[in-house]
Amino acid sequence: MQRETRVVLLVLLLAGGALYLHTTTTTEEFSRHNIGWNGTSSLPAEEVRDLSRLDPGSTLLLLAPDRPFTPEEVGYLRAFLDGGGRVIIADEEGAANPLLADLGSEIRVRPGNLSSLERDYAHPGLFRGYVVGNDTLFAGVETALLNRPAEVEGGEPLIETSVLTWDDVDGDGRVGEGETFGRSVVCAREGNLIVIGDASLFINAMLPENPKFIENLQPVQIDAVHSRIGSRNPIINTLTWIAERPPAVAAIAALAILPVAWRFGRKRE
Amino acid sequence: MAGAKKYHAAAVLAVWLLIVTFFMILNRTLDLEVFFVLSLIGLLVVAVLIDGAFSRPRYMRYLGYVIIVEVAIFAYIVAEKILEIIAA
Amino acid sequence: MRPRTSHIILVAAAVLLTLLLAGEAVDPVLYAAENISTAAHADPSTIEKRSPGDAASVIPLMDELLGHTGTLALTIKIKDYESAQRDLARYSELTSQFDRLVVTLDLSETDIAEFQKNNRQNQEAMAALLNDSQRLDELQSLEIEVLDGDQRMAVVYEGEALRQKMRETYTAYAKREPETTRIATHYGANATPYQESVEVLAEVVGAAEEWQVEWQDGNGTSAGGSGGVAPRSPLNITVTPREGRYGENLTIGGRYVDGVPGTPLTIYVDSRIAGNTTLDENAAYAYPYRIGRILAGPHLVYATAGAIFSEVATFDVLPAETNISLAIAEVNRTAVACTGNLTTEDGRAVLNAPVLLRLDGETLISTQTDGNGTYARTLILTGGEHTVRAEFNAAGYPLNSSKSGVVTIQVRGEGLSPFPFIAAIAAALGAGWYIRRRGLPPEPPVPEEPDIEPPPEIAETGPSVEIEGLPPRDAATILFRALRERLGIPATKTPRECARLAPDHVAFFERYERIRYAGETPTDEELRAMEQEALERDD
Repeated sequence: MQRETRVVLLVLLLAGGALYLHTTTTTEEFSRHNIGWNGTSSLPAEEVRDLSRLDPGSTLLLLAPDRPFTPEEVGYLRAFLDGGGRVIIADEEGAANPLLADLGSEIRVRPGNLSSLERDYAHPGLFRGYVVGNDTLFAGVETALLNRPAEVEGGEPLIETSVLTWDDVDGDGRVGEGETFGRSVVCAREGNLIVIGDASLFINAMLPENPKFIENLQPVQIDAVHSRIGSRNPIINTLTWIAERPPAVAAIAALAILPVAWRFGRKRE
Repeated sequence: MAGAKKYHAAAVLAVWLLIVTFFMILNRTLDLEVFFVLSLIGLLVVAVLIDGAFSRPRYMRYLGYVIIVEVAIFAYIVAEKILEIIAA
Repeated sequence: MRPRTSHIILVAAAVLLTLLLAGEAVDPVLYAAENISTAAHADPSTIEKRSPGDAASVIPLMDELLGHTGTLALTIKIKDYESAQRDLARYSELTSQFDRLVVTLDLSETDIAEFQKNNRQNQEAMAALLNDSQRLDELQSLEIEVLDGDQRMAVVYEGEALRQKMRETYTAYAKREPETTRIATHYGANATPYQESVEVLAEVVGAAEEWQVEWQDGNGTSAGGSGGVAPRSPLNITVTPREGRYGENLTIGGRYVDGVPGTPLTIYVDSRIAGNTTLDENAAYAYPYRIGRILAGPHLVYATAGAIFSEVATFDVLPAETNISLAIAEVNRTAVACTGNLTTEDGRAVLNAPVLLRLDGETLISTQTDGNGTYARTLILTGGEHTVRAEFNAAGYPLNSSKSGVVTIQVRGEGLSPFPFIAAIAAALGAGWYIRRRGLPPEPPVPEEPDIEPPPEIAETGPSVEIEGLPPRDAATILFRALRERLGIPATKTPRECARLAPDHVAFFERYERIRYAGETPTDEELRAMEQEALERDD
């Protein structure tokens, strides 16, 4: 019997491990809890939830924002920018355009299907952009591997594509009717505000492709409320909620320890 | 324990296949041919190790049949791969 | 042994699993991480890398082509005709390279294709200007030697024809400059040498005209004309209609004043011989010219009767759209036949034109249309799905390129060959023979007597026997007795009888028989194995 018990325990352990992995990770794009290729679990960044309490002079990253900003939050960001802080908005879908308008910037993100003929990979959306501007963020970086970026209008250009790039409207992978070649700007700057038209630079699979850029980024804080790095999974959200509140952690630890202590105490009597 | 050797052999084979599966998932490639060949290797190793010189228990008898079938399939896979390489 | 339920379940599960897996055996790779991408991004570690190679050389090549126009113009101006010819050869080599690049990179609907067309026309213009300029120089040296009036007139007419040609060629060349420069600067190529070449060629053409005027003035009154105006050639030429499209016929005709009927005439289009004709009894001629493989745009035509050159006439070739069709039929298991028609918009067939078949988006196979505008080509493909598209890229034709739709075909591929099956059967036979030889016979032995099953109570706990310190043959005897007892066989049975009664342990008893009666000594290993067998219950 004992041998079979051992086998059963082993199987239960394996199953428990699989269950743990299944419930505490997710496959949502850009999520911090996604350990797959399209998550941001490997991005070294500190999460902040309160925009009014930002360190002046630090860097704030807004990754693929999908929630609207209230006027107070826009005010805090404005104050942060004026105080010397740096804000990096990485957006591929144009959802940051209202925020950019509220901040008084003239930069806009124009989503499209930028494809390039000059590329290292078989996928037309995976190509290199060239650094043309001067910024500490791109110090020591000459090219950046882009992953289906969007075009950025306005501001001072920092990264440009090669001239053999076009917006593939019909998605057939080649230049057809009505599509023309031309350079596009995919990253622009206005003062302390940097807008990158490619949020995919920060996913797990892309981090080793642009190492110097990620290194220059540190230390960085990421806005956890407005960026799309959360998850819709209730279990993960509950665990995160508990982990943020030390009293709740203490309560759960007590809940686990008390029965054990009671049982051992009884046994001795 | 009745037939401890039998259980040991089955357990070892199961653990070996679990390890193979783990590495296949890690590599993000699930290839049936590779899995089959590695399971055949495991079976052959286990069969040789549990084979006593003087006994021929029932399960060893039928294991012989299984091994013959698996070797035939293995030869088929190898021959197909050779044809593929020659044709290319 | 009574089959227990768990055994039945196990066997049923194994059979079910084997059937399921056998269904997948045709395509054994169940899952592979390949080309993973979502709407927002692709996983670079699953996308295959390829060399950027061709695309990076487009713009440098444009630069080189424009640079060559500059140097060519200069060498023509300084009349260094030998190096000009070498330059021209290099220029046409680069032009063909550029053409190939445009086809491989599938750029035919971009403005790079526009640049390519203009470049081709520039190259032809350069060749014409070079040759005409060289010929003009020859005439210049000739006219000094020539004294005879007729020959002098011939020289005059030819000079006039050349002058007209050069002027027309230059005008067309200059007309192409703004568009070409615009495209070049859009891509960051250096168009300055090209723009300079236009000015240099203007000087060359100007010099040619000046020579004519000089010659007029130098000769005082020339036959048939007042001072300052070049005499008109007696052989005149017109083209009707003045413009046309591919496949249409133009009539090149005119009259030879004072000409003799029956004189042979040679018609030149763009300095190349287009045909021969003769003067009829009215000293007139008419030659039908079919617009074939020449570029769109203005073209020059002139005629010669012996040494007398006519004037130069121009006609325009207008571009036209084309349509290409593609149909695929299966020929056998591995080959498919691709056929189609290439016609212009008006329904004229495009004859003897190169057609490219793009296989799977990458491989290019070239074929040609025949005299009816139909092309046919058989392709040999591997099994599976393939896409084919026919393309006509109109290089050298006054036509626009066209592509057919993409046709997807399923090729059955070679049937199953018998070789793997033979290998499998051979391996099965070999394995069976090997296993049997090793003493692990797969077939059940002959007398299966079910009532010899030992009663379970007796054999529950194996007897503990001590064989340490005993000589090997005695140890073997003890083990034999222990096994016999464990199996419940009466002590009167000999080893051979035991072997017959307990077929599971045949090898043990046979070995013991040899030890006991043939005087063999068991090794330590054998003893261990025998001990294991005698003391354990391993069914």
